[in-house]
Amino acid sequence: MKFILQLALKNLTRYKRRTIITAVAIAVGLSMYIMVDSMLAGVESESMRNLRWYETASMRIVNSEYWEQRSTMPLDKSIQNSGQILSDLRAEGIGATPRIQTTADMILYSEDFGEDGSMPVLVTAVDTQTDFDVFRFVDTLVEGRFLNPGENAAVIGSWFAEDIGAKIGYWVTLLARGNGGFYEAIDVQIVGIVNCPNPNVNRTLLMVPIDVIDEHLAMDSTVTEIAIALPERADIEKTAARIQEKLDPEKEHILVLGWKELAKDYIGIAEAKRGGTSLILFLVFIIAAVGISNTMLMAIYERVRELGMMRAMGMKDRAISLAFIFEAGGIGLIGSLFGIALGIVINIPLVYFGIDLGFMLRDMDMGYRIQSVMRGAWKANTYFIAFAAGVVLSMLAAWIPTRRALKMTIPECLRYR
Amino acid sequence: MIRIDKVVREYKTGETVVPALRSVSLEIKNGEFLSIAGPSGSGKTTLLNLIGCIDAPDGGEIWIDDQAVSKMDTRQKTDFRRNNLGFIFQTYNLIPVLTAYENVSFVLSILSVEDSEIKKRTMQILEEVGLKGMEHRRPDKLSGGQQQRIAIARALIKQPKIILADEPTANLDSATGEDILRLMKQMNERYGTTFIFSTHDKMVMDWADRLVMLHDGSIVSDERRRQ
Repeated sequence: MKFILQLALKNLTRYKRRTIITAVAIAVGLSMYIMVDSMLAGVESESMRNLRWYETASMRIVNSEYWEQRSTMPLDKSIQNSGQILSDLRAEGIGATPRIQTTADMILYSEDFGEDGSMPVLVTAVDTQTDFDVFRFVDTLVEGRFLNPGENAAVIGSWFAEDIGAKIGYWVTLLARGNGGFYEAIDVQIVGIVNCPNPNVNRTLLMVPIDVIDEHLAMDSTVTEIAIALPERADIEKTAARIQEKLDPEKEHILVLGWKELAKDYIGIAEAKRGGTSLILFLVFIIAAVGISNTMLMAIYERVRELGMMRAMGMKDRAISLAFIFEAGGIGLIGSLFGIALGIVINIPLVYFGIDLGFMLRDMDMGYRIQSVMRGAWKANTYFIAFAAGVVLSMLAAWIPTRRALKMTIPECLRYR
Repeated sequence: MIRIDKVVREYKTGETVVPALRSVSLEIKNGEFLSIAGPSGSGKTTLLNLIGCIDAPDGGEIWIDDQAVSKMDTRQKTDFRRNNLGFIFQTYNLIPVLTAYENVSFVLSILSVEDSEIKKRTMQILEEVGLKGMEHRRPDKLSGGQQQRIAIARALIKQPKIILADEPTANLDSATGEDILRLMKQMNERYGTTFIFSTHDKMVMDWADRLVMLHDGSIVSDERRRQ
């Protein structure tokens, strides 16, 4: 065994050019794998983060009946004792804010927009004092200002503003159904335009003060939801279960839903996409594997005569196999280490600066909640997989041609060119 | 003693069967310096491969020191080659990444000889083949003749009963070839090792104590030249 290891090491160090070329091929393949995996993981985690920060919050409290009939957004199925719930949550140090969501027809006027028109919109009524405690809109304002309590004003998403040609100061009328079924027209002036990293929000957001909606739609201080923010590493499911237990253990009136439950549609799409991304990763992996196999294959086949000589000298086939496999494992080890180092070097700018694909994502909905810059992510297990795969694949790639060469007769090996 | 009894070897290429050896019988005593000669395609290499247990006959038997090597399985043949046979190839077949010392000593490493013994024997054999001071050179830094000397040292170091050399001088100029033959003869006399070498070169044939001529897979003459 000592001799086999020594032989493998000697071959490794003395076939320098071949070792370097093969190790570089392995390193490039593995760094590609690391890069693609990092981007896919980064996109997914950032997408989910943007979903929590700008759409769903960490979790929400809703009326059980409202949740059942959520497609119609029934205002009469709102949370009655929202004030008490909010003060209880805040007493525990949990950031929470009330919201009312309803649909409306938004009427546009020719004086401002050039022509009259209307369109269905989703109105999000926010508590101007506490909404920033839960959602991260504070740094997203690109024009105008945020809402003040009690004013007939609206803040809209930047892409939405672009699509309808809205500017600060323009007036629109929201025609919505109030609590009880009556229709109410609310005139609001656009006072702010926000641009956040979540494209879905940029495309659809229309925020108005909650007290305006409360008054016009006769909500009587009820709200359709209470959004809650938890720290990034908090156990959302556990916290949701604890709050649920406290508020309504039977789930008859109140439901506490984690963001995954709230974004079930997105999660479903994300799961489906994961199948696709796994396929991409698999293909990258295969490309890397083929590269490794090919270089190892050539390295073995150019030494078939050497292998034949060793057999003629009485070296056992198993010992020859091991010598070649150890040598390939050594090349795999060097290649994997370089591949991981290269992967880390490539990943640094990907994680900290990312790739700006805004020009593509503006007009294309990929389902991801990422607006422009796609960033990579650090995933320790990817590096482990890449390292192990580099070494194991190299050994396997050497084992197969060695086995084939050992199946040749010794004279065939000695004649091999 | 090597006893080859009615050995037949055929090669199949598709439907065609090409006879390489046709019922060849031969006896070779220990310590002989024997040349198997004949034109290209006469079956010289095939016969050497069969004696060297790196090929198997389609008929007949081969005995080496009362062991029926032609009936051995692959593992037994490997063990037999490791312990009893040495090979010298036309193209030397040295491991290019190993030094002269390592190319020779690796044969003893396979036999699990102790490091101190390996060192002693390797240095001694390298000196005997005239490569003292060149132990650390790799094959690409040595001439063809020097490379073949390493091959001879490699074949000799384990003190095998038989050394098989397939056209050992074919890649060398005549003067160097003669040097190599002289060295082989010296080793044959010093160690009593049986040398069997193939050739189609008249000069090489002249060095042999016994000359076996092959033609189309059959022995056409068997001439003892010296005792």
